[in-house]
Amino acid sequence: MPRDTQAVTVPLGAIATPFHPRLEALSTAKQWSNWAGFISPAVLDTVEFEYFAIRNQSTLYDISPMKKYSITGPDAERMLNRMVTRDVRKLRDGRVGYVMWCDEEGMVIDDGTLFRQSGQAFRLCCQEPMYSWLLDCGWGFDVEIRDDSDAVAALALQGPTSFSLLSDAGFEIADLKPFDWREVEPGLWISRTGFTGDLGYELWVDRAVALPLWDRLWQAGQHWGIRAVGYDAVNICRIEAGFLAARVDFQAVHATERLHRGRTPLELGFEKLVHFDKGHFNGRRALLKQRDKGLRTHLCKIDIDGFKPADGALIYHRKRREVGHVTSGVWSPTAKRNIGLAELKAPYGKSITKDLWVEIYVFEEGVWDKRIVPLTLTDRPFYQPARARLTPPAAF
Amino acid sequence: MSDLSFDAVVIGGGHNGLVAAGTLARAGKSVCVIEQSDHLGGMASSVDLGDGVVGPLMAHLVFNMDDKIAKELGLRDSLQSDPLPSISLAPDGWHVVMEGRVARFANGRPHPDANAYRDLHDRLLRYAALLSQLADRSPPQFSGGLSDLSTLRELAAMAKLGIDMKRLGKADLREFLRVILSNAYDLVLDEMSDGPLAGAICADAVRGNFVGPRSPGTVFTLMYRMGAGGVPRLPKGGMGQLSQALGRAAEAAGAKIITGTGVSDIEVKDDVITGVTLSDGRQIATRAVLSSTGPMCTAQLAGVENFDVEAVRRLRNMRAKGTVAKLNLVLRDVPRIDGLDDRLMAGRLLVAPSAEAVEQSFNPAKYGEIGPRPVLEAVIPTLSEPDQSGAHVMSITIQHVPHTPDGGWDMVGRERVIASAVDQLEMHMPDLGSQITQAHLLTPADIEAATGAPGGHWHHAEMGIDQILNLRPINGAGRYAFAVPGLYLCGAGAHPGGDVTGRPGRNSAKQLLQDGVI
Repeated sequence: MPRDTQAVTVPLGAIATPFHPRLEALSTAKQWSNWAGFISPAVLDTVEFEYFAIRNQSTLYDISPMKKYSITGPDAERMLNRMVTRDVRKLRDGRVGYVMWCDEEGMVIDDGTLFRQSGQAFRLCCQEPMYSWLLDCGWGFDVEIRDDSDAVAALALQGPTSFSLLSDAGFEIADLKPFDWREVEPGLWISRTGFTGDLGYELWVDRAVALPLWDRLWQAGQHWGIRAVGYDAVNICRIEAGFLAARVDFQAVHATERLHRGRTPLELGFEKLVHFDKGHFNGRRALLKQRDKGLRTHLCKIDIDGFKPADGALIYHRKRREVGHVTSGVWSPTAKRNIGLAELKAPYGKSITKDLWVEIYVFEEGVWDKRIVPLTLTDRPFYQPARARLTPPAAF
Repeated sequence: MSDLSFDAVVIGGGHNGLVAAGTLARAGKSVCVIEQSDHLGGMASSVDLGDGVVGPLMAHLVFNMDDKIAKELGLRDSLQSDPLPSISLAPDGWHVVMEGRVARFANGRPHPDANAYRDLHDRLLRYAALLSQLADRSPPQFSGGLSDLSTLRELAAMAKLGIDMKRLGKADLREFLRVILSNAYDLVLDEMSDGPLAGAICADAVRGNFVGPRSPGTVFTLMYRMGAGGVPRLPKGGMGQLSQALGRAAEAAGAKIITGTGVSDIEVKDDVITGVTLSDGRQIATRAVLSSTGPMCTAQLAGVENFDVEAVRRLRNMRAKGTVAKLNLVLRDVPRIDGLDDRLMAGRLLVAPSAEAVEQSFNPAKYGEIGPRPVLEAVIPTLSEPDQSGAHVMSITIQHVPHTPDGGWDMVGRERVIASAVDQLEMHMPDLGSQITQAHLLTPADIEAATGAPGGHWHHAEMGIDQILNLRPINGAGRYAFAVPGLYLCGAGAHPGGDVTGRPGRNSAKQLLQDGVI
């Protein structure tokens, strides 16, 4: 038998998302980045326009490269409750919860959003590939785990006019509270969630009907100032909202090779999401031990003097002892503050919060300049508009 | 509501379970042993083979029982019997007899490799004595820091081991470190020519494990066998009597023993043990459970959701492929072997004609096949202690039988296993076949079904370098404590491992007491 010698073309390089035809047409900057193997815009037009559109209008951001897993079956709740640190039993049908899950040493593997469809059906959405981990977690439980990452396309529609836009597009979502989600039309789920800290929604749809959804929103959005945005603008917003980015503000422990690079939810400041009273969950015994012995680091929100972004800068106590570094730093155009997230070695950041300094290096037109500026720790997100929580959201 | 209440419940009334119960009871704790079958002993039991003939159900020899432990457990009397000689049967009739450090031909002629054997034996015994220092306590962990008393004790023990290793002298220490991870085949054939003597050593190196003598780590398993001298003995009254004695010792110390019902559930509430439910529905309240059954089976009884995902993954990947089948032959009369007197006939008869043959015995098992010439260890206990019925029993362990051959077990497969043993023995005792009135075969699958040993493995988990000390049975559960506070492993799957030693049971009970659980 002659062997089939027909060449099969395997596409090389980054993969286009279902929304790529629209993004490609809109992109004037042609600044693409690689997000988990997919072509994703860093900037489509200019980062300033896109940022202000998120804060003042409506914006579409393609989040299809997020990993999406379906977990269904009689034991789905039990299995997930053993995996994540939060009590999943308290997550009602039609609700979404921010969750973290740890390895046996209590180190965060990843964080994400857990969507409960019904008593026995969940969707987990996260950054890192998690299929084999979920299979390991599901062993011994009556659950079916499916990787929907490629099957489901997703869009983040964020901004103060997003509710008005969706209403104009014919969706009845006025009663959708923050962290609610619902199948608004067959095959189209809308959740009131997002990564910007403002009013916003995320839309989940089969990839085959991704483009008609985009066109429907785009058409309805003309009156509401709709723009497509890239990651650079979203990143400013998420720092303003105080949200963490995996591999930036903490290292997803399965992606680390060196010892002790992982961080626990306690160290990341999420003690409230660690429900020690719910029975065993992965890493619980290690986390209890750490809670008793003390944390190694604290992740803090910081406010820095001046206006020079401090991303990556070292932090000193009394200008002498090095005690940490800035994990995400940016000038917040809305808060008009120089903000960031920082990892401080314990007890700095918890019991020692004064006399902390950031060393910022600035390179301007061939000259390096160093500034030592004071930093203040804050508890609250830098940007937290009331409209983000209002139900029904105010028409704009 | 609970029907009963104990400080600790021991799952499984095999030798390790009974030793654990006895150790706890002697420390003043109330203990209950739950054995699912109607007799004690697990693999170390006697069985009625029909017509009142009694034979060893599975294990038939004790060779690794530390004298100190035997005394502590009240077993001195059962182990008063004389050491058995080992006879490696040779196709050419020049059978080799091994007694302690002496090897000779059965016909009285000196063996050309006698000196090499003596040197090797002595050397291995010295190394084994070093290793056995690690066997009668929990594996070292050093996690507590220098201010911690138990860590200091561990350090002291390790310092003693270090000093003892140093005392070996430079050449011997170097040799120890050279061979410890090596394979038995190279070790033996470096010292002597291949033949029944080399074969016998290699057979002892692989016994019970899914390895051949060329597999790495087989020098370690050989040393492990010799940890308490390696002298084989038939316990007085048979294997069952040994377990009965352990049971009596535990009961005398105050332990309660329940047979004929298993444990269907280990109850965990708020991450501590609260009790067990028996398969007959009774409930027992307790704060500590010591399980001598398989590690995964134990995890499932307690619910895998009480274990970390990584621990369950390691349990799933734990190596435990059973490779030993047990054959009991009931004989009208004892067949003779030319050149062996009565004392030698009552000894440990080995069919392992060469190191090469032992390796070839392993080959079919690798591929799930039944081999034609597996390595055998046979003993006729009725020659040492006559059976009341007057019949004789030949107890044979057949090494390198797959857990389940391709296509599953059927009568044809079972007959082939029996024939593989009988045919090889008939080369030396031609009238064997005509004397057989009954043949009882337990395949590794049968052993798993009867005892719960994972994969029907003789040692509950392969005795590989990756599954000893802190890594036995899995990383993270090496010091008997098994994830859920109050849950402990005390079977052969725990450190130091298999054979009738009582050590896992004893160490586990001591660790439980030291941890202050009860």
